[in-house]
Amino acid sequence: MLFNSVEYLIFLPTVFILYWIIGKFNLLKLQNGLILVASYFFYGLWDWRFLFLILASTIVDYLVGIAIHKKQGQGEKGKLFLWISVIFNISLLGFFKYYNFFVDSFVDMVSLFGYSIKSTWTLNIILPVGISFYTFQTMSYSLDIYYKRIKPTHKILDFATFVAFFPQLVAGPIERASNLLGQITNKRSFKYEQSVEGLKLILWGLFKKMVIADGIAPIVDDIFANYGTLPSSTLILGVTFFSFQVYGDFSGYSDIAIGTAKLFGIELMSNFKFPNFSRNVAEYWQRWHVSLSTWFRHYLYIPLGGSRVSKLKSIRNISIIFLVSGFWHGANWTFIFWGGFHALAYIPVFLMGRNTIYKDNVVAENSVFPSFIEIGQLVLTFIIVTFSRIFFRSESLTDSFVFIKRLFTEFQWEPYHHPMGYRMIDYYILLAAFVLYEFRIRRDERSPFKFKSPIVRFCAYTLVIFCILLFFDDGVDRSFIYFQF
Amino acid sequence: MMAWIVRLFISNSDMIKLFLKISIYFFLICLALELLVRAFHLYPEDSPRFIDEMGVEKRVPNYNGFSVTGNRRQNFSEYHINNQGFNSYREFEPSYDKNELALIGDSYIQGFHQNYYNSIGKKIEDRTKDLEVYEYGYAGWDLADQLHLINAYKEDFSKIDHIVIYMKYPMDLERSTYEENKGRIKLLNSTSFKIRDNIKLLYYASQIGLLEPIKNLLVEKKDTEDIQENKTNTNPDSLYLANFDKLLATYPLNKSKTSLLLDKRNTSPLFLDHCNKLGIDIIDFGENFEITKKPVTLIYDKHWNNNGRTLVAKSIIAHLKLAKQP
Repeated sequence: MLFNSVEYLIFLPTVFILYWIIGKFNLLKLQNGLILVASYFFYGLWDWRFLFLILASTIVDYLVGIAIHKKQGQGEKGKLFLWISVIFNISLLGFFKYYNFFVDSFVDMVSLFGYSIKSTWTLNIILPVGISFYTFQTMSYSLDIYYKRIKPTHKILDFATFVAFFPQLVAGPIERASNLLGQITNKRSFKYEQSVEGLKLILWGLFKKMVIADGIAPIVDDIFANYGTLPSSTLILGVTFFSFQVYGDFSGYSDIAIGTAKLFGIELMSNFKFPNFSRNVAEYWQRWHVSLSTWFRHYLYIPLGGSRVSKLKSIRNISIIFLVSGFWHGANWTFIFWGGFHALAYIPVFLMGRNTIYKDNVVAENSVFPSFIEIGQLVLTFIIVTFSRIFFRSESLTDSFVFIKRLFTEFQWEPYHHPMGYRMIDYYILLAAFVLYEFRIRRDERSPFKFKSPIVRFCAYTLVIFCILLFFDDGVDRSFIYFQF
Repeated sequence: MMAWIVRLFISNSDMIKLFLKISIYFFLICLALELLVRAFHLYPEDSPRFIDEMGVEKRVPNYNGFSVTGNRRQNFSEYHINNQGFNSYREFEPSYDKNELALIGDSYIQGFHQNYYNSIGKKIEDRTKDLEVYEYGYAGWDLADQLHLINAYKEDFSKIDHIVIYMKYPMDLERSTYEENKGRIKLLNSTSFKIRDNIKLLYYASQIGLLEPIKNLLVEKKDTEDIQENKTNTNPDSLYLANFDKLLATYPLNKSKTSLLLDKRNTSPLFLDHCNKLGIDIIDFGENFEITKKPVTLIYDKHWNNNGRTLVAKSIIAHLKLAKQP
């Protein structure tokens, strides 16, 4: 079920009403049971067979969590059980997501040495939606118990609800048990303000998805499909639009997820903090897909030594997390290159000691407009990040490099015309207005409609819905880009 | 269940507040959107239709409006329904003294996607001397409708010098007899359509496909591919040719002044041969479409744009000039 579907429009209020009716009678178990059933139903509409994978991941980590804790009580670390969780979840990912990639890469590598083997080992495997997200979430539970950050829950219902909580099941935010599980095990009460905030986030998320991402999707698709014949000006347009598309798509999803969770009295972590207003690549990674970045920091970068080791080892650690992060996105060399490119962009920032200087503030912190230096920083960071998206969007490495080659060799300016005749000025105005509006609200990613005047607020809601009407495209595939990861 | 819901609301003032506010906001936002859709004229205006005493389905005469296609009114054009019930810049007054051409067809000829004063007929008139073009276009017409029209207005058509019938093969030959489509008129006059016509926001939303998912959810989906497959299996050329022959038997054509306007590229050679054998003139605009480098269709739909209409007009003119040669 998609957030931007009619089915969800029926599903959400139904679950919401039932949930609070049950909540009225203080039946927490029943409330969690309802969330669990609703989550399995939500997921099962894609493919009910993959529910068994979620169930398996749930049971394994539930038992592993208890076993680790028990071992720790006996003075042991419980490393064996941790490895069971890690191997099980990585195997799930490895088989469903990376098996064919490894086989194909092996065949390609062998052919480099002059041998030829027929790739008959590849399988016709369907990638289960959200597998990368929920396996990381369950793994983090076992890791947190291992590192004694949390204690395991003995209530399987609560744990299953934590794993399958439908707002964030298929595309995050990848929650930590320390945040989400605690909320699930405790009684929730209906709060008017929280629900209103949730609805506002859902509306803003829908705008980002349906207007920004879906609105420009046909243009991006056309440019990337025909990049071999287009001039560099059009390629720049295509990759810039893709940058906005992927941001609108994923951050829109996250906003809807966070907003939906709020309706159920649950606070999820922020996943996007206006990454387009980052002053360097390090700040970008503190603002883009925060739940994944922090996951890698907590469970990979810090255990490897983080930055508290020699410079050389720190660079190695940075390279590892970016390459793994790239690989997490998809079983394709393009994603590994994408990760590698970001590592190369991040390392100089790290060496200059500027990787944490923007951690606790935003651009133009105390002023209305950014300074010229800040504008330069924003533009440069945006260019670097957008350039990296060529790898992210291309079907293969060859496509990426041909795209880049054309970008620098076919340098000419030509106005772009979409075959369907879309009026391009509409999109330029839309994106300019979007950037300016996001700049206005850059201090708080959870309050997209922060206006004191109710009239202005009402006008903003109306305008956002009007934009959805103006840019709705019946022919666009409405699924979310990050579902494929 | 209802009692529980009521109990939930009564016992929780915050919940009442939330639902009350959602309802008020929903109503006010819909109202504001209705105003915006009207202010920017995003909605199309459908002129009313009826079946006249001759059994011809057409538009209610003397009606002006704007046709809007796509979201953000990417195609916006004015139409004018004349006294005879067709979208045209002129009234149809056939007489033996004048040189007239009747252009008959479906939505392509009806031309709601263009300004009525820039139609194919107008383009033909601008490029020829002393010729009046009467555009008998009506969306959804097939050959049965078109031949019925000629037969119903026999007297008028007897005075007209040239008749050009636009047809798409094989879509226009799916039936061999004419029947009035009273169901469609009834449907268009039904309350649900009247509501849609009056609430412009609803009309716009339905026009851009926003309501399609809701419709799909309510109405059981038919396997259109299967239907299509059946159709192609059971309707080969012979069936269309038989329909064509049967229609001509019912409504004989005056071959001396009637031509079929079509795109040969999309027409079966069997049908073209058949017309040749029957001595029916063909005007092929496909050749001109093939040569041009500019697009010939509009955005969002396949109707002809200004370039396409100019080329069709040129094809007709060229044919008429050819016809004058000894």
